[in-house]
Amino acid sequence: MGARVVVIGLDGATFSVLDPLMQAGVMPRLRDFVESGVRAELKSIVPALTPPAWTSLMTGRTPGRHGVFDFFRKDSPRSQHIRFQTSADIGCETLWTLADRAGLRSTVLNFPLTFPVPRIDGYVVAGGWMPWRQLRLGCHPPGLYDRLAALSGFNPRELAMDMTHEEKALEGCKQEEYDGWIDLHIRRERQWARVAAHLMCKDATDLVAVLFDGVDKLQHLCWRFIDPALEHGVTSDWERAIRDRCLDYFRELDAILAELIFLAGDEANIVVVSDHGFGSQIRTFFVNAWLEQRGYLGWVDGCASHVNDSQVLGMARLAKHVYELDWQRTKAYAPMPSGNGIHIVRADQDHPGGVTDAEYEAFRERLIGELVAVEDPVSGDRVVARVWKREEIFDGPYLELAPDLTLELTDGGLVSILGSEAVVQPRPHATGTHRPYGIFAARGPRFRRGVRVPALSILNVAPLVLYSLGLPVPSGLDGELPFETLREGTLLAHPVRYADQAEETVPHSVPAGPELSAEAEMEIMKRLRALGYVE
Amino acid sequence: MTPTRDAILEHLQQMLRELASDWDLGEAITPDTLLFSQLGFQSLDIVVLGTALQERYEREMPFAELFANIGQRQVRDLSVGELAEFVKEHVGVSATP
Ligand SMILES: [Zn+2]
Repeated sequence: MGARVVVIGLDGATFSVLDPLMQAGVMPRLRDFVESGVRAELKSIVPALTPPAWTSLMTGRTPGRHGVFDFFRKDSPRSQHIRFQTSADIGCETLWTLADRAGLRSTVLNFPLTFPVPRIDGYVVAGGWMPWRQLRLGCHPPGLYDRLAALSGFNPRELAMDMTHEEKALEGCKQEEYDGWIDLHIRRERQWARVAAHLMCKDATDLVAVLFDGVDKLQHLCWRFIDPALEHGVTSDWERAIRDRCLDYFRELDAILAELIFLAGDEANIVVVSDHGFGSQIRTFFVNAWLEQRGYLGWVDGCASHVNDSQVLGMARLAKHVYELDWQRTKAYAPMPSGNGIHIVRADQDHPGGVTDAEYEAFRERLIGELVAVEDPVSGDRVVARVWKREEIFDGPYLELAPDLTLELTDGGLVSILGSEAVVQPRPHATGTHRPYGIFAARGPRFRRGVRVPALSILNVAPLVLYSLGLPVPSGLDGELPFETLREGTLLAHPVRYADQAEETVPHSVPAGPELSAEAEMEIMKRLRALGYVE
Repeated sequence: MTPTRDAILEHLQQMLRELASDWDLGEAITPDTLLFSQLGFQSLDIVVLGTALQERYEREMPFAELFANIGQRQVRDLSVGELAEFVKEHVGVSATP
């Protein structure tokens, strides 16, 4: 028997890019799939960021309940140290652990936070921060790596993370590097597709979930060549060539989707989803520089690394502001360039400049008021659309690990954590950044055909997958089963079963990931920069 | 039962041998093999290896201290034998409930 449910993840995919590609014949197979099934926009969680969003998709829970807020994890709620985030940091059941408990088998390929690999019945190849040299350790069951290594064209360096490739992309502004970066992602998607196809042919499990992350990577680096709204700016021969190469990527992706959809067969329920959408960012808000100007943040040597320094001084300076803050003078700071989160420092022995419990509420209110008043000096527009207090967007046992404040910028962008004379600056080119609305398209025996439904939440996906697997839907999930996606008669033929979720969190058999050294932290910063997160 | 230093070293060498064969590395893995300069590890590789070792021995280990220690050395490197020693020190301590 083939797979019952196939989940294909396209990191960062958005209909504003895919619709024109489908119409123009670049992605004809995806167009057929979307048109013959049910489609919707898919609203991500806050923050609309890869690790927490995919974790919400695979658990059906918000970050306060699953515990993943960013690319890193604070060592403890009030600590400035960050830890390597592992599968042990997911504080609840995932689709595959639930399937495993119910006696179903799963294949899970390239999802973040799957290392150490969950010992489920089926297959796992870890994604996210899995370095290629240790990919063998990220494969489950034992022997899987050797099977994959025997596939023609198998190359662990391209399948998993290779810092030397990422470092190349760091200097990614060089024109000659673009081609290679795009080609690498074409090869990378082919590698994952080959692995998925091999396992689906040889031993199809009940659930197959495979994640392709090239869409996000290309959109971060090449947004101005990909966004249809910016096409008028693609004028030089080089720019046109890069745009064509990006289209080649999407053509390849279309072929891969077609193959996986074919292998899944007509009996499978297939869901194509993304973790967030994409859009343009037109300016940079240097949030730590702003905090410094307001007297809420101090660097040890009095000055942070600046934008231009990062080219000259390298990553050592770029990363240092994360751990070389002057705790005599720092009340608030943004530690990472990814989640738009501000952490308020609480006063104690090590942080004499921090905010006391008595001051906290008033300080937080003042900061919110001052943040929403920040203006773009050129246009006069507000820069910060909204500031969320932690408890307004998060709930659950991991609430304390969340940033105290999370910003939503008016241009939808991400803050910069570097130093700068001007706290707001226009960008020379619009760059690609995450947006809340991603994609959802589903086809199969249980789904409606040829319809568009209003936006769904990423939290609706887990109950939908569980239901389609024939499993009960746990009562503690944060999203509902999206009935509007189901074909008439499906509910009568397959009534929904609900199950009480006995425990809110899962006791871990696996210890938490190690605290990061300064150097490892720097490598993380490098990688984030390669991914387009540090300007 | 607490594993012996030799058992830990043997397991670590075996693990690294398997990994190294995936990179077509000609060198043999001995207790003296250096992780950074000879195996080409980066800090994140050690973090990932550390995560795997913690899982295997079901124990959290203070890798931050180990990193700090390496950072102070003249030659910033770590041998397979030293890593085994570090693991031994921490699996030898009885698990906290
Ligand atoms: Zn993403």
